[in-house]
Amino acid sequence: MSMLLILPIVIPLFTASMSLVFRRSRRVQRWLAVSGSVAMVASGATLLWRVWDDGILAGQAGGWRAPFGITLVADLFSAIMVLTASVVGLLTILYAIGSLDEGRRRFGFYPLTHVLLMGVCGTFLTGDMFNLYVWFEVMLIASFVLLALGGEQPQMEGAIKYVALNLVASVIFLMAVGLLYGVAGTLNMADLSIKLRETSNPGLVTAIAMMFLVSFGIKAAIFPLFFWLPASYHTPPIVVSAIFAGLLTKVGAYSMIRVFTLVFTQDINYTHTIILILAGLTMVTGVLGAVAQYDMRRLLSFHIVSQIGYLLMGLGLFSPLALAGAIFFMVHVILAKTALFLIGGIVWRLRGSYQLRDLGGLYASKPALALLFLVPALSLAGVPPLSGFFAKLALVQAGLEDGEYVIAGVALAVGILTLFSMIKIWNEAFWKDQPEGVDLASDEERGLHEPSATPYLYGPVIAMVVLILALGLGAGPLYEMATVASEQLIDPDGYIRAVMGEE
Amino acid sequence: MPLLLVVLAGFLAAPVAPLLSRFGRQREAGWLLPLVPLAITIYLATLIGNVADGETVTASWDWVPALGVRLAFMVDGLSLTFALLIAGIGALVLLYAGAYMEGDPNTDRLYGWLLVFMGSMLGLVLADNVLTLFVFWELTSISSYLLIGFKHAEDESRDSALKALLITFAGGQAMLAGLILLAMTAGTSQISAINLGGAAIRADDLYLPILLLILAGALTKSAQVPFHFWLPAAMAAPTPVSAYLHSATMVKAGVYLLARLSPALGGTDSWFYLLSIVGALTMVVGAFLAFRQTDLKLILAYSTISVLGSLVMLLGIGTTIAVEAAVVTLVVHSFYKGGLFLVAGAIDHETGTRDIRDLSGLARTMPVVAAIAGLAALSLAGIPPFAGFLGKELLYEAVGESEELGVALTVAAMVAKALLVAVAGLVAILPFAGRPSQAARDAHDPPMRMIVAPGLLAVAGLATGLAPSLLSRPLISPASSSILGEPVSVKLALWHGFGTVLLLSAITVVAGALIYAGRRRMVAAAGTLEPLGTVGPSRIYDHALRGLNWLATTQTRLLQTGFLRHYQIAVLITLVTLVGTTLLWRANTIQLGDFDDLHVIEIGLSAMILIAALTAVLTNSRLGAVAALGIIGYSVALIYTIYGAPDLAMAQFLVETLTVILFVLVFYHLPGLAQLSPRKVVIRDAGIAVACGALVTGLVLAATSEQFSPSISTFFTSKTIEEAHSRNIVNAILTDYRALDSLGEITVLALAGAGVFALLKLRPAGTGSDEPPIASSSAVPSLILQASTRVLLPVLLLFSVFLLFRGHNDPGGGFTGGLVAAAAFALYAIAYDAESARRALRVEPHTLMGAGLLVAVASGLVGVLLGEPFLTAQWLSFDLVGFGHLELSTVLAFDIGIYLVVLGVTLVIILSLAEE
Amino acid sequence: METILAFVIGGLFGAGIFMMLRRSIVKFIIGLGLIAHAANLLIFTVAGLTRGEPPLIPPTMTELAEDAPFGDPMPSALILTAIVISFSVLAFAMVLVHRVYQTVGSDDIDDMQSTDT
Repeated sequence: MSMLLILPIVIPLFTASMSLVFRRSRRVQRWLAVSGSVAMVASGATLLWRVWDDGILAGQAGGWRAPFGITLVADLFSAIMVLTASVVGLLTILYAIGSLDEGRRRFGFYPLTHVLLMGVCGTFLTGDMFNLYVWFEVMLIASFVLLALGGEQPQMEGAIKYVALNLVASVIFLMAVGLLYGVAGTLNMADLSIKLRETSNPGLVTAIAMMFLVSFGIKAAIFPLFFWLPASYHTPPIVVSAIFAGLLTKVGAYSMIRVFTLVFTQDINYTHTIILILAGLTMVTGVLGAVAQYDMRRLLSFHIVSQIGYLLMGLGLFSPLALAGAIFFMVHVILAKTALFLIGGIVWRLRGSYQLRDLGGLYASKPALALLFLVPALSLAGVPPLSGFFAKLALVQAGLEDGEYVIAGVALAVGILTLFSMIKIWNEAFWKDQPEGVDLASDEERGLHEPSATPYLYGPVIAMVVLILALGLGAGPLYEMATVASEQLIDPDGYIRAVMGEE
Repeated sequence: MPLLLVVLAGFLAAPVAPLLSRFGRQREAGWLLPLVPLAITIYLATLIGNVADGETVTASWDWVPALGVRLAFMVDGLSLTFALLIAGIGALVLLYAGAYMEGDPNTDRLYGWLLVFMGSMLGLVLADNVLTLFVFWELTSISSYLLIGFKHAEDESRDSALKALLITFAGGQAMLAGLILLAMTAGTSQISAINLGGAAIRADDLYLPILLLILAGALTKSAQVPFHFWLPAAMAAPTPVSAYLHSATMVKAGVYLLARLSPALGGTDSWFYLLSIVGALTMVVGAFLAFRQTDLKLILAYSTISVLGSLVMLLGIGTTIAVEAAVVTLVVHSFYKGGLFLVAGAIDHETGTRDIRDLSGLARTMPVVAAIAGLAALSLAGIPPFAGFLGKELLYEAVGESEELGVALTVAAMVAKALLVAVAGLVAILPFAGRPSQAARDAHDPPMRMIVAPGLLAVAGLATGLAPSLLSRPLISPASSSILGEPVSVKLALWHGFGTVLLLSAITVVAGALIYAGRRRMVAAAGTLEPLGTVGPSRIYDHALRGLNWLATTQTRLLQTGFLRHYQIAVLITLVTLVGTTLLWRANTIQLGDFDDLHVIEIGLSAMILIAALTAVLTNSRLGAVAALGIIGYSVALIYTIYGAPDLAMAQFLVETLTVILFVLVFYHLPGLAQLSPRKVVIRDAGIAVACGALVTGLVLAATSEQFSPSISTFFTSKTIEEAHSRNIVNAILTDYRALDSLGEITVLALAGAGVFALLKLRPAGTGSDEPPIASSSAVPSLILQASTRVLLPVLLLFSVFLLFRGHNDPGGGFTGGLVAAAAFALYAIAYDAESARRALRVEPHTLMGAGLLVAVASGLVGVLLGEPFLTAQWLSFDLVGFGHLELSTVLAFDIGIYLVVLGVTLVIILSLAEE
Repeated sequence: METILAFVIGGLFGAGIFMMLRRSIVKFIIGLGLIAHAANLLIFTVAGLTRGEPPLIPPTMTELAEDAPFGDPMPSALILTAIVISFSVLAFAMVLVHRVYQTVGSDDIDDMQSTDT
């Protein structure tokens, strides 16, 4: 089995363990965290290159052939996700070096983040349903601790809601996996794909598929399962919010796409129509929620929900174009959302508040930051020639081609509202003047006494903005990759052959 | 290549001004930057010859071919005409802006965004691919937004900018759908190819939706009724911006699109009626509203709307004459309107006001400006020999000729034009004639740059009027050909002989003069129509925005109630609905299994579980609930034993015990259970709970009534002895076959430990517990306990290690061993105190956790070093004298890792809680 | 027996859900424990119940055919992992509940709404 398949799992685990052992030293922890992330990015890039050149890469952990051992599989979709996650991990860790308080650092922020990345990459690379559950739990508990780390009251209150609903999701997931094993006798995804094609009770299989839909849906924050997200994502320090925004819900979306293209394709009219309806509702309720907000973080949190709707749309339409659009969209939205959260953090540092009404004057005093904000904000709204435009274009084209005019129209209309809410931030934080006499965080809290932090804060943001621009202006080759990835998803035979051998 | 440069020049030059101002050289930018559009104009001018001869210049590159997006450009008559206007007027505006904005520190940003806009606009008109066109279309919207909001600190600027953006962007999104559908129908996204296949498109079912969607974009951008109201609001922008974007270029983009797609979409009844009616309506309404304004810029804005309306109307009519009229009007309007806007700016700059009620006599103090204004206004009024007259004549000819609606359109045109004559008076006579007013007294002619620009434009209006062939062969003919889709040769002349058209022109001018003369009474009369304004589209926009905010707030309040259980209920209802419906509707009917072969003990255990569950629900005693949970756990463990899963049963026992201990430790700090919810809520919740339970029961019944495929476990059973060297199949699965699962599992464990530790130790300042910790001193001081513990500790530890080693062939393993070891230390902590337990441990629990993880990972990597997949078991078997046959393996190492992690985590949790 | 266990599982799950919907965070935790038990039992039941034959190969047997009469070891392994994971998560949740009570000063979830609005 190629080392490339387990490096994204082993590297962060190793880094985290060493970090745990050396938890006294700030320098060692920082150094470990960064080098571990860089190693992950390198291995992710190599993996992507390899899969692009040689096709789907599969390996069996423990040396036991499929479907008896646990298979790790990297098709293009997985490889793209691993690389994106690693990049986001690296950039947010760099930001954390500049922004994190010492208390959280001492109690394990860096190892926690790495374990989170481990779980995330594990879900992307696994080819086994129960193993998927395990990685989900790894990721989940890391996120629990990160969310609650610091113990402030809003964190505690947010954590209760977050923990509660995600645990319900885990239990539903576990039950669904159990049922699946009982019904099919195997947990290997490729094997399931084969075995579930001829079942004596396809309706039961579809019912189990619905359970997965609900479970993943909670984690991906779709309608009507997303209410935990706006209640909790804005409570921890901004860098934690950024990591969550970029990665956690996307894992849920990834799992949905994986499962509903590989395993549960027996009743597409039923399952994918439901998905399409939920997509539309998610888009609309999410963006309306955002429009109502005056706290920057909550506004961005609602947008996470809305954007997931687009991914669902790609899945629901279930055509090569739609899935390619969904994959492209996934990368775009991860970058854009993380960038926006981090910029929000910089704004807080400069102006001392997240409340839009209390902010202002940044376009005049910090034009560079304003431009940095405009790129991901407009990209999110789908303004060309940025990444978001091409992602939405693919999805809308797919919708129109299939005659699904309603969802295409909804997608476009939601884009208008997304722009509206982004302009709200622009108007309030950047264009208008900052009002007098408002309640701001102290200089001490904001960490302004550490000016050396600035490159760590701006560097990742600039990197992400460059990537978004590249994704838009250079959309051709990247979209081509997404197309090949989507073909691999639509026709699982390649995946199955890579896993099970030629049969 | 040069075409690409033409488009990109604006974008590339945009950062120049901000960069220059960094070095304090902002003023130089004002002289340098106009050179860029000037260069573009010169280059484009060289293409005139070729294009006039009927050639087109093209260039294209791949961008995202799979989506049909190609960066394709084409220069034909239509695009060249527009491009020349954009670049030429751009140069003049930049020059003008240098003087107009003198002293404003943000001028560099103005230049930047103006150049970005110019690049976008050029890209728009030169695009030969519908999606590329759309890209630039939206870029113009964005740059326009940033320019309108230039004085961003003022509320009005921000609101106006938002209004413009929202309306044009919304229209743009609809247009995108239309363009995609158009490309789909035509089979290509290249505009020149689409235009060749017009007949098929018009015959398609999707024709009307496509038309309507594209019209949504074009009409919003070109400020047609009822979408016109953003344009007057956009006058909040600095005057150079208004002159450039909102009269000469951007607002014409919609007209451009309609013109460009005429060969494909035009010629049908829908096209004719929609465009001519909307256009005519806009034409009249615009002129009417222009007449009523008192701010110079607003007058000009509304009159622009009127002319745009006439352009749309002409394109709707679509005959050769109409198209020629449209192109001529287009060019001519840019000249005089651009000029007049710049004049208005000059007046504002010098006198400080734009209100025509406060201005008079400027001819005395600003003679040059007055002359320019006069020239331009004469073109606006359509007086020969100015070019505006040419346009008006053609307009009357076109509407007169129109088969349908000819009379109505002619009347509309005459009314509008008459009003515009009056408007010309308002703009060029009122402020300048008579004695200088208060504001006019100190004014003087503005700096050279602010004269050259409007001056050139005004003179152009005269020159092209006197020598129309300057325009007709190089620009009008090729442009008209592009629009009509077939070559035409246009001959323009000032004099067409006596005819109806000339008569109509004369009537118009006279009528206009009369209106101007009686303007005070007319305006007063028009005031009676004021109440119509309340239902105007501007109000609708305001209401819509308020409604949107209301909808958003209400929805958020309804959905994000703040009550966790509401969220849970939403999830549960979704679960039951989706899964339950599918199960009932599409699955085979659920069968109850048979009830034979039951043992009493099994029924007893089941009953005990259910009773305990009920107790846990109903009891108000914390200990009672915990005890109930414990009973459930042990009963489940017994069930596992009965059904042949001893390892599992052991683990369940141990974990249940630990859980109970944990509950006790935590509940020490928590209040008692109380019945908090009212009766109705309890019943509702009970109903949901019953539904969920029923669902799960149904699922289990359905799943157990059939087994589809043989399970993969048979493989494990057969392979275990030789290949896995193990007799305990479950342990083999955990540490060998599915070791990756276990790796994840211990990671979760470790995290839980670290998390508990962090939760308890890291707090914001001042939030400690007021109660004494459980184990600050010995909870159960007893010498007997302490003595026996001293003995028990090593014994238990040995036992735990024994369990660890025997696990591979008999029940046991790293997990159970670790738990036993942890129990030993926990006992020590109870007998003495947490501190002593820590000391007895010698190592920090955290270190155990970390070490355990590292050992587990390392054991997996051993195989990798030997070239095998991760976590492949490696075995080393040998015989040792006196001990017999021994086997060492990485599997054992892995198990040791599990042991260490379990020990470490359990202790972290128990000790930290005890120290609370 | 599967049938009876089906009802037991349903009952456990329903009881757990009911507890999780209550306003007291303590009851909430208890509910979590209940549904975790339900899930584990579910896996066990659905995979097929064979009475009495633990998947331990006696030392006398050295070779095995594929259809040897042992119970299915897979669900045991899966549930074991799930138990450990659930325990970890439950432990964390319990401590979280304790800390929430300390910070907010109340065990009533209805008092914890400040982050939503």
